[in-house]
Amino acid sequence: MFFQQLINGITLGSIYALFALGYTMVYGILLMINFAHSEIFMVGAYIGFWALTFLPLSIQNVVPLHLSLVFVSSIVGAGLLAVLVERIAYRRLYGASRLTPLISAIGVSIFLQNIMQVGVSAQSQPYPYPQSSDIMHFDFFGIQVNSLQISIFLLAIGAMIALQLFVNRTKLGKAMRATAQNHTVSQLMGINVNLIITMTFLIGGALGGLAGVLNGMYYGSIKFNMGFFPGLKAFTAAVVGGIGNIKGAMIGGFLLGIIEAMSVGYISSAYKDVILFLVLIFVLIFRPTGIMGEAVTEKI
Amino acid sequence: MIRKLLLLLSILTLILAGCGQSGPQVVKVALVAPLTGDISAHGQGMKRAAQMAVDEANAANLFPQYQLQFAAFDDRGDPKEAVTVANQIISDPTIIGIVGHLNSGCSIPASQVYAKKNVLMITPASTNPKLTQQGLKNVFRLCTTDDVQGPFAANFVVDSLGFKKVAVIHDKTAYGLGLAELFRTQFVSRVYPVLSFVGIDVGEKDYKALITKIKSTGPEIIYFGGMHPECGLITKQAKELGLAIPVFSGDGVLTPEYITIGGPATEGDLSSMTGLPPEKLPAAQKFIDDYARLYPNDDMQPYDPYTYEAVKMILEAVRQVGTNRDSLITTVAGINFTGILGESSFDEIGDTRNKTITIYRVTNGKFVYVD
Repeated sequence: MFFQQLINGITLGSIYALFALGYTMVYGILLMINFAHSEIFMVGAYIGFWALTFLPLSIQNVVPLHLSLVFVSSIVGAGLLAVLVERIAYRRLYGASRLTPLISAIGVSIFLQNIMQVGVSAQSQPYPYPQSSDIMHFDFFGIQVNSLQISIFLLAIGAMIALQLFVNRTKLGKAMRATAQNHTVSQLMGINVNLIITMTFLIGGALGGLAGVLNGMYYGSIKFNMGFFPGLKAFTAAVVGGIGNIKGAMIGGFLLGIIEAMSVGYISSAYKDVILFLVLIFVLIFRPTGIMGEAVTEKI
Repeated sequence: MIRKLLLLLSILTLILAGCGQSGPQVVKVALVAPLTGDISAHGQGMKRAAQMAVDEANAANLFPQYQLQFAAFDDRGDPKEAVTVANQIISDPTIIGIVGHLNSGCSIPASQVYAKKNVLMITPASTNPKLTQQGLKNVFRLCTTDDVQGPFAANFVVDSLGFKKVAVIHDKTAYGLGLAELFRTQFVSRVYPVLSFVGIDVGEKDYKALITKIKSTGPEIIYFGGMHPECGLITKQAKELGLAIPVFSGDGVLTPEYITIGGPATEGDLSSMTGLPPEKLPAAQKFIDDYARLYPNDDMQPYDPYTYEAVKMILEAVRQVGTNRDSLITTVAGINFTGILGESSFDEIGDTRNKTITIYRVTNGKFVYVD
């Protein structure tokens, strides 16, 4: 049972981790908690749903092409939506107190949820792919793993490695790290800070969209409020890992997924979240900046 | 300025007063159910059925002396929201009867609000026994309670299915936990202890860890107390983890949306429902046909016939005694109503005397009743 729970936890953790990256990247650059990120995740899932349902049949028949279009459209769509949200709801508020964009973010979150609820559907929509027949099931000595879980894990790891390489090895990534440290000095060095912020939202939103599609495929149904619970967990994952730190978000995500599965498996399902958050409080007591977080003196 | 305002105000008052006198008295029947949110499939169905009953009465011009209207309210399946809506309803003196709520967790606190103003309330769907045990005179229930449904399900598992190993899951709500406990009590009294009895969170998506744990205890069937969104995911994820056993649940799950969420994994799952299936009620045939004609794009939900019947019952009481709130309550308490559910009357605490339960099984993607 231990290994089965580990697999349950890792799959859950992959989605949390992808989702948490969006929170942590925005925080790293802007010191702002983007509560609208959980709705970017939801909209990403819906875009994937529409691409799965409404693309012409000639495309749908070529499964690899269809699937890649589904992923591309929801990644691009969610990324662009995140950029749009930043432009409209946050950009003009950076000079204001740190609470102001936070409230704006909550507003955007409620706005997007209600738009989807009223304008699209208040009910669950079944995800058309993969049908249970398209999933391959493997049985390793009594441990059940399916092709979907493996793909989720690989896609999540792939996206995270790509992000790491981008941030650490490219010029734009370097500009991003510089902006995270100090906006004014970066600007003096010739970095277009606004462009970097836009890029951060684009990448974070794209990863959120990817997590949304994977979530829809894994659980088989989507709904306008699907972002709320995972959003809360992903945000927690980002904090535990050390908010603002990309590696931390990944570690936090996996950790959260695994703790959740294990506490259900070995202690109690009803007290799952109690146990989960108890562990987190202890982590934060001993490492207030999170697992990977560094104690940075307050920026001025 | 103030004088002008006063003048305007008095003119407005005159106009309003004039309106009130000219037309017939407005009488409203209210439906309260979750019209949005996770379980809106149930609530929207109830709204359609209630609308039908009111429209029919108006079309037949049953009440020439009144202007009969229908008002629908949304409690989102949330007890807090239910109390807010209940207060809004009692502030409207034209509302003479309430049909609702769906969730027991909403009906119980809301019924106390209605009792303050002595407003007649008939719930077509809340099955937790505690609702009518509060000693409120204005509260009636048209569906069978969980203390019949839960034990009936337990006996069905033992006698008809012949299973001895059952894992029980509930959603920690008044309805889900209540039903699961009543199931467990009866099951244990048949000398079989349950393998496990655990709660889950409403709105969660991942139950794989829980199912993995349950699987290791080797159950033959899962009994679930709660609503369809969670149950659909549980049955789906159980089959994904290789736990190919049926999931047995109560009336909260019996909606086509359950099969939408759970997909092919729901095949063979069981669900109990209060009352007889509409197909077996000869009087209900016209209702079923009319419903299909009026709402060709919507499936009938399990509590639609009950909602329809509850509205009809209130209208019958109005026909007999008019709109006085106290007389309406006494009339319904002593009513002997023959409608689409057969004969209905209420016992001394306000529960229906019609206590049948039907078991349904998912067969070829549809709930079909088991004889």
